[in-house]
Amino acid sequence: MNIELYKNLENSFGVTSLEVKNRNQSYIRVKKEMAVPLITHLKLVESYKHLSFFTIIDQIEKGEFELLYMLHSYSRNHDLGIIVSIERHETDMESIHHLWPAAETYQRELREMFGVEFPDSPGLYENFCLEGWEGIPPMRREFDTKRYSEDTFYKRPGRETNDPAKYMKEKIYPSEAETW
Amino acid sequence: MSLKDLVAPFMVWGRALQKPYTQKNPIITRPGADRYRGFHVNDIHKCVGCGTCEEICQNEAIDLVPVDGIETKHGDSGLRPKIDYGRCCWCALCVDICPTSSLGMSNEYIWIDSNPEVFRFIPGAENKTWDNSKKGYRRGEGYDLLEGQRVPMPMLSFEESQKTFIEMVQGFSREQALREADRCVSCGLCIATCPAHMDVPGYINAIRNDDMEEGLRIVYEANPLPASCGRVCSHACEDVCVMKHKGDALSIRWLKRYIVDRIYKGDYEKILSTGEAKNGKKVAIIGSGPGGLAAAYYLSLLGYEVTVYDSNEKAGGMIRYGIPEYRLPYEQVDKDIDYIKSLGVKIVQNTKIGEDLDFMELYNNNNAVFFSTGLKDPYGLDIPGEEFPGVTSGLSLLDDVTIGKTPDLGKSVVVVGGGNVAMDAARTSRRLNCEVTILYRRRIEDMPADVEEIHESQEEGCIIETQAIPLRIVKGDKTRLKLYWGRAEMVTDPKGGRPRPVLIEGSEEVIECDTVIPAIGQQADYSFLPEEIVNNIKFNRGMVEVNEYKQTGDLKIFAGGDIVNFKKDAISAIANGHSAAKGIDLYLNQL
Amino acid sequence: MVEKGCANLFTRSQKHINDNPKLPPIVNGRAKYNLESGKYLKIWQGPQHPGITGNMSLELTVCGDEIVDCKTHVGYLHRGFEKLMERRKYMQCFPIVCRIAVPEPDFNEYLFAATVEELAGIEAPERALWIRTLNLEMARLASFFMWLGGQSGSFGMNTQGQWTVTMRDYILDRFEELSGGRIYHMYMIPGGVRADLPSGFENRLLDTLKTCEKCLDDVELTMFNNSIFKKRSKGLGIIHPDIVDEFGITGPNARAAGFKRDLRKDEPYLKYDQLDFEIITGIDSDAYTRARVRLQEMYQSIDLIRQILAKMPKTGSFFTKLPNVLHWNIPEGQIYKKAECTRGEYGYYLRSDGSDKPRRIYVRGPSYTHAVSLMERLCIGGNISDTAGLMVSLHTYPPEVER
Repeated sequence: MNIELYKNLENSFGVTSLEVKNRNQSYIRVKKEMAVPLITHLKLVESYKHLSFFTIIDQIEKGEFELLYMLHSYSRNHDLGIIVSIERHETDMESIHHLWPAAETYQRELREMFGVEFPDSPGLYENFCLEGWEGIPPMRREFDTKRYSEDTFYKRPGRETNDPAKYMKEKIYPSEAETW
Repeated sequence: MSLKDLVAPFMVWGRALQKPYTQKNPIITRPGADRYRGFHVNDIHKCVGCGTCEEICQNEAIDLVPVDGIETKHGDSGLRPKIDYGRCCWCALCVDICPTSSLGMSNEYIWIDSNPEVFRFIPGAENKTWDNSKKGYRRGEGYDLLEGQRVPMPMLSFEESQKTFIEMVQGFSREQALREADRCVSCGLCIATCPAHMDVPGYINAIRNDDMEEGLRIVYEANPLPASCGRVCSHACEDVCVMKHKGDALSIRWLKRYIVDRIYKGDYEKILSTGEAKNGKKVAIIGSGPGGLAAAYYLSLLGYEVTVYDSNEKAGGMIRYGIPEYRLPYEQVDKDIDYIKSLGVKIVQNTKIGEDLDFMELYNNNNAVFFSTGLKDPYGLDIPGEEFPGVTSGLSLLDDVTIGKTPDLGKSVVVVGGGNVAMDAARTSRRLNCEVTILYRRRIEDMPADVEEIHESQEEGCIIETQAIPLRIVKGDKTRLKLYWGRAEMVTDPKGGRPRPVLIEGSEEVIECDTVIPAIGQQADYSFLPEEIVNNIKFNRGMVEVNEYKQTGDLKIFAGGDIVNFKKDAISAIANGHSAAKGIDLYLNQL
Repeated sequence: MVEKGCANLFTRSQKHINDNPKLPPIVNGRAKYNLESGKYLKIWQGPQHPGITGNMSLELTVCGDEIVDCKTHVGYLHRGFEKLMERRKYMQCFPIVCRIAVPEPDFNEYLFAATVEELAGIEAPERALWIRTLNLEMARLASFFMWLGGQSGSFGMNTQGQWTVTMRDYILDRFEELSGGRIYHMYMIPGGVRADLPSGFENRLLDTLKTCEKCLDDVELTMFNNSIFKKRSKGLGIIHPDIVDEFGITGPNARAAGFKRDLRKDEPYLKYDQLDFEIITGIDSDAYTRARVRLQEMYQSIDLIRQILAKMPKTGSFFTKLPNVLHWNIPEGQIYKKAECTRGEYGYYLRSDGSDKPRRIYVRGPSYTHAVSLMERLCIGGNISDTAGLMVSLHTYPPEVER
């Protein structure tokens, strides 16, 4: 990412934390309210026309969701990841479906999987792949897949395993006092 | 639409005459490729049941179960993988990671049965048609998920080491320790073999997490002399390490040393628990070797008032007086002992029970007595000329060096024996500028000394004569003494024991030397025990008989260390001390 | 723009929509119609449908035989791989990733390995890179063969499907020899590849390529010159160049619209910078052109495999030693790696928090936009009998939509 563009964006949109991965890839961070104006600017003015993907990383320890918009500019041959942190309990985010109609699918999925709302995004509340799901959004970190499967399904009977160290204690030195 | 569009589809009519692509199964069966990931095979006699396959399996398809005919023994848990084909995805990561390379996959892929339960099977233990298949997936050359080579330990070169008493093994750097700790697969097979059953995977994991304090806590749970043990432990654990099947065992001993080396003595108090409040009961311990110190440590954690009586000037017993400084520097022994002392353990030095203090006095004034007096009396060679000046036992040489005396060895030394004491005596003599020859009755592979010690003594210039039996010592002409010795041949024992050396009649050689050092073993001295006590305690071939709490026939007396166990090493003594502490606690709380 | 949805972005369809009084109005980006009126009928296409669209279904609203609304339903293959990977050690993710695109698992394997290697600072040896390139091209060829069968089958021509699926199986035979698996190869492991080429592999592969080439010639004769196919596919599902970026369309779907975009050229990964090839494009951007582009890419792929076999080093190490994979912590960081798969830009985004398990892996499958938002709009105004053919011509793989 050329430094001039970054300086520009820094001045106009307050972007921070430039992370240059290589010639073709960088990441920047921006505040929630400046995110969509920044993306609009990048798409319309700076030739970042292609939305590679849009996803969320759950930073449960910080109480935040990190929204990641991955834009690509064909003319610059450059990937630009825009990371926006939003509070985990205040999960409204401005929609970008007016910039990329394809974004509505991403937003529909993210609403289903993370519970992040994008008001005005078409069909936001339609099912993406979970029909009739009522639990917490399953891609959130606190959703424990293993616990869920243990609660929902039964285990195949007749399976039991042994820990080698414990098993050897039972077999070789069951009565040595120092191990009590 | 052009004419070509109409005609083109008919231009491939020739295909109608071609042989069909499909094969008529089951008339023609198609074997899987040579590398096909089909049904599992396992050489269950090569497998040691370490459970690494279970660990890597992302489907949780593998269980470890006991198998008929496979016994649990040191280095083999006796468990074997049982694979649930309802879950397996045939990724073969279990094959890739198997440290013994016993797991593999055949190229079979058809198995039909109406009973779903059979698809949960133990490869190798149930007769399957593919058991002996040579084809199928195996981990190939040039690809390995585990590291078989250990990280080399920085050491003094042998040219330097033979001239100095500076510690030869210099210890891992952080980077080296992390790399070595990384090799561990955390199977825990070593725990059973360690006499003290230390949680080896636990402290290695702490090293990986760079959490030395946690590591020290884990180590102290089973071993209160880690600075010493981290240097001179006989490391039986390394003999059963599964990584040995891939090359080198993990350097478990050096890793333990690394933890201790990284923590300053003064910080121990903050890290380790100081134990329960004093309960007012008193325990006397005779001998401040590893057994006595371990018992003292754990008893004092349990709240007992502990007094250790020791005949030497300084505490430590064999680990101080029997192990030379270049293997175990004295400040490391002090590091261990000082911490035990700081817990309130009293150590009374220069007090020999039976001479300076009566055993019965201890017996009557304490709630329990633990003795771990060790083997102090060296065996003689039982040959003529043994009484000449210039014949001195290995232990007394090591003793002298420890207390700072310069022994008069002359220029050339012959050490007789093949144990660690013999090696230590030989290498110590080497450091005192002597030419050293080691005579041993059997072959090199029969030597009870650690392999490293034998190797290092050879590298330092000690000459080892094997199958050599000393015959007599006479006064020399140019040198102080002459040792005559004969060659032996190994005779196989018809009963199946280890081969015996038998002197070849008429063979006789001579070495001119200034000093002969017999180091062929020691025996215990129980003269300090009064008769009424001896009558209660049972002895068996010079050793004290104890139950699992290390309790002797006299319920108030407990014993441990070399006089109790056959392994006769520091870590076993520590384990004895630990069990005795638990036993004493149990005994006194039942009263 | 928002009110009318995106329909006005389609030239041909949009005109069609505006002129067609049957089509319901669009409100908030969604067609609004009254099912009770008796004018419309809802039918489901899929999830089990012989058109090889995989396990996904289209909820179609038709007026007569004309589609007035379409909604894609995925979820039949949702196994939560991204979530599963967050709970597994890095090496344990390796057997999972191949399942994200069944007909060509290798792109997943490569990208997963590449992201992990990049963050862990590991470099695969030269020969491993060549073998990976070879593997990816073989996968491309196999995947296109499967698509070719689907494309002809969905237009009622079943013969070519029989041939091409056989050709795919011949390539799978080579995969089986190479990796030990036919479908899920699990071959490109972080650090390199799991085994060297078996002896004599190159020659057998070249033989297979010859057979494949012969078959492609036959397919070209019988399918691309077939008047039925031409008639049904020409003018079907035109993707206007203007909407290519709006919908994130990549791969042959974009190249058929005239875009000279190919990650193998634009951001060469592996050894593509040492291979000689041109980006194949089309003009008409309809189903026929897309099929043409893909057919030419198959020939190109055969050529690339031959080039790779000629250029790759014959010996050398193929695996870089990894730290102990049982407790392999990857340093904190993030990376997005992409590759040109048969359908377009395939990408893996990996975020590591420094532990032994990934914090987040996001898989960008090109079908995500092609099969959902694009498909939902492209089929409006079309004939119900063309839906399967249209869907196959977008070359969608449902598992990469749901991950």
